[in-house]
Amino acid sequence: MSLESRFGRYVDALPEKAWFKFLATHVVVPYWNWGDPKPKLPGGPRPSTQPSENVQRMMNLVMPLADTSSLGRAKAVMAIAQNAEEIFAGLDNVGTVHTARFVILEDNLCMISVYDGDFSNYIRDFIETIGSVFDDVMSLVKGGEVLIPTAQNVDAFIDWVHEHDLFQAPDFPTELFALQDERAGRKRGTPHELRSLPRELILQLQANRNLSLGGGYRAYPGVSAAQVRSRFGMGW
Amino acid sequence: MSQFPDLAELQGNILHGYRRAVVRHLVLEVVDRAAAQRFLAASIAGDSSDVPAITRGTILEKLPDVCFNLGLTYEGLRALGTPATHLASFPTEFVEGMTRRAAKLGDFGASAPESWPSPFDRPERVHVVATLYADKTASLDRATEQVENFAAGSHSAFAVAGVRDGRNLDGNKVIFGYRDSISQPSIRNDDIPDRVRDPLGTVLLGYPTRSEGIVFRVPTPPVLGRNGTFSVFRVLAQDAFGFEDYLDRAADELIADHDVDRLLAPGAEKRIGSDLTQHGALREIVAAQMCGRWRDGTPYAVSPDWPLSGSTELGMEESDGTPPGSRDLRNDFDYGPTSRCPVGSHMRRVNPRGGLIVQRIANHTRRLVRRGMTYGPDFDPAIRDDEERGLLGHFIGANLGAQFEAVMCDWLNLGLHHPDITGSNDPLIGANQPETSWFDLTARDGGAIRLRGFPRFVTTRGGSYTFLPSLPALSYLSKLP
Repeated sequence: MSLESRFGRYVDALPEKAWFKFLATHVVVPYWNWGDPKPKLPGGPRPSTQPSENVQRMMNLVMPLADTSSLGRAKAVMAIAQNAEEIFAGLDNVGTVHTARFVILEDNLCMISVYDGDFSNYIRDFIETIGSVFDDVMSLVKGGEVLIPTAQNVDAFIDWVHEHDLFQAPDFPTELFALQDERAGRKRGTPHELRSLPRELILQLQANRNLSLGGGYRAYPGVSAAQVRSRFGMGW
Repeated sequence: MSQFPDLAELQGNILHGYRRAVVRHLVLEVVDRAAAQRFLAASIAGDSSDVPAITRGTILEKLPDVCFNLGLTYEGLRALGTPATHLASFPTEFVEGMTRRAAKLGDFGASAPESWPSPFDRPERVHVVATLYADKTASLDRATEQVENFAAGSHSAFAVAGVRDGRNLDGNKVIFGYRDSISQPSIRNDDIPDRVRDPLGTVLLGYPTRSEGIVFRVPTPPVLGRNGTFSVFRVLAQDAFGFEDYLDRAADELIADHDVDRLLAPGAEKRIGSDLTQHGALREIVAAQMCGRWRDGTPYAVSPDWPLSGSTELGMEESDGTPPGSRDLRNDFDYGPTSRCPVGSHMRRVNPRGGLIVQRIANHTRRLVRRGMTYGPDFDPAIRDDEERGLLGHFIGANLGAQFEAVMCDWLNLGLHHPDITGSNDPLIGANQPETSWFDLTARDGGAIRLRGFPRFVTTRGGSYTFLPSLPALSYLSKLP
């Protein structure tokens, strides 16, 4: 066996070596991050030029709870339980929502939903319909107090939700470059070396600790909630 | 809070149109802050012979020789020295500016900001959109000279980055031949009790809106934000030859492939146009259904078989713009469940009125005031040329996101508000591609005939999101350290 291939195998095996992992985690990545910190990428789906991609969009809203004790988390459970019926009736009135549910995950209350069309319109219509009910929920969320009443702070609330909606990693990995360029104000089409992609992803995960992996699966793509309702005679 | 404002404190183009013959938009870059502030102060004072006076909202017996209003971009507010804390109080869509909202607005492909000509190719240099309105070009020239004197010489307040001239076509028509400027939000004003439709918050910051309980963000400090509003300035090229060519093709296809009687009542040609053949009449039906109005302005919903021009049925307005009777059918109508005006028509997309829509709470909430004029040479379908012509428009509303963008991204394109059109774009001004475009004509028997394969007829050639400050706000800006 040649020296070169033995060296090659050694290098390939490095990521599994404990000393190398330690070095990467505690020295290399922090050093990179110090030299080239990535701004946090905004959440939610991005507007698309394809009409079919502008329906059935995913929201993964992660709202940190103000009180993370089990008592505080129980309050969140109660707030949803007491208001769920009204919230769901409101979503019905918004008209563009396929599904929505609430989840408590660690110290966060999450609202996970699938909706049609523009994100800002969805949130604005939601608040216009049931803002006063949702204020109860927001009162338990860290940073929520300045947004209450949400109907009177609707622009700020939309920005806040955008900030707390999970970043959706692009379906085509190299699109990450374009999103980082846009966020940093660099020109579209700035050239990047393909081999820097893993490094960029690692650094981006420093800024966006949680993310949604791609746009997700759809059994019937390109169809809006109203079209489903209309087709099945459910009244839209 | 909901008291009607002092009209003298508002810029005059917000609540009323001037209905003048010519317009000139000057795109200015602030070069010297202090000099630009002197210009603002002089234009507010209105008594300087060196600077055009800002036209206020006060209702005047006689308009001045030149009406003058201005909007500031985010970059412009910054260049004038607006403190960062107050800059941050402006809504996100305004801060980001039109070019960064391109995907939402359908500005891609040939409409992408990257392909806009100067000065809109460098949005960071677009600070002020100053608009002059007059009856004669000579008046515009005199006022332009005043601004240019301030741009050059000892003042050097601005660099004139771009100029766009427009004019009013005879009969308020637009390049595609439709009569325009018919439906506008009419603002509730206690002084004018019979015009009770849209609350003041539709077009002015700091007042109740149509959306119950919703308060749009008013930038701080209050003197800067209150009684201001936002205007979307757009340069929209209209492919008039492409549109007329398509109408020919559509009429050919309808005659070849369909039972034409489903669209055209036997013998109705002559009522659509005295000299029209069946082919010519079908062209006009396609044009009318795509727009939602016949080219003479008759709403398709009111008269689906032929236009009512010259007929007294419509209640056509007098030459001074006031309707003759109590009911103006050109605007006083709605879209019921059996309306033959296609759901996908331009008019039903941008303003579905009281018609059933998916977003049940959004009826009547996304209204815009439109102040548009035509640019480019006259259009004569018989004489081919490559000239660019189209529309220079201000689209005014108190919240860019809730009004202009909301219409553009979910209704005009995508068609989310009605399941029968979702996935299609506005046939007249949408971001269409022949490979995917479709539009359903409504037939006389209640069915539909689908048209496919039409191109994009309107291309964005520039624009910016501007803030139209009140007079006290302009005064505040003129005094910033």
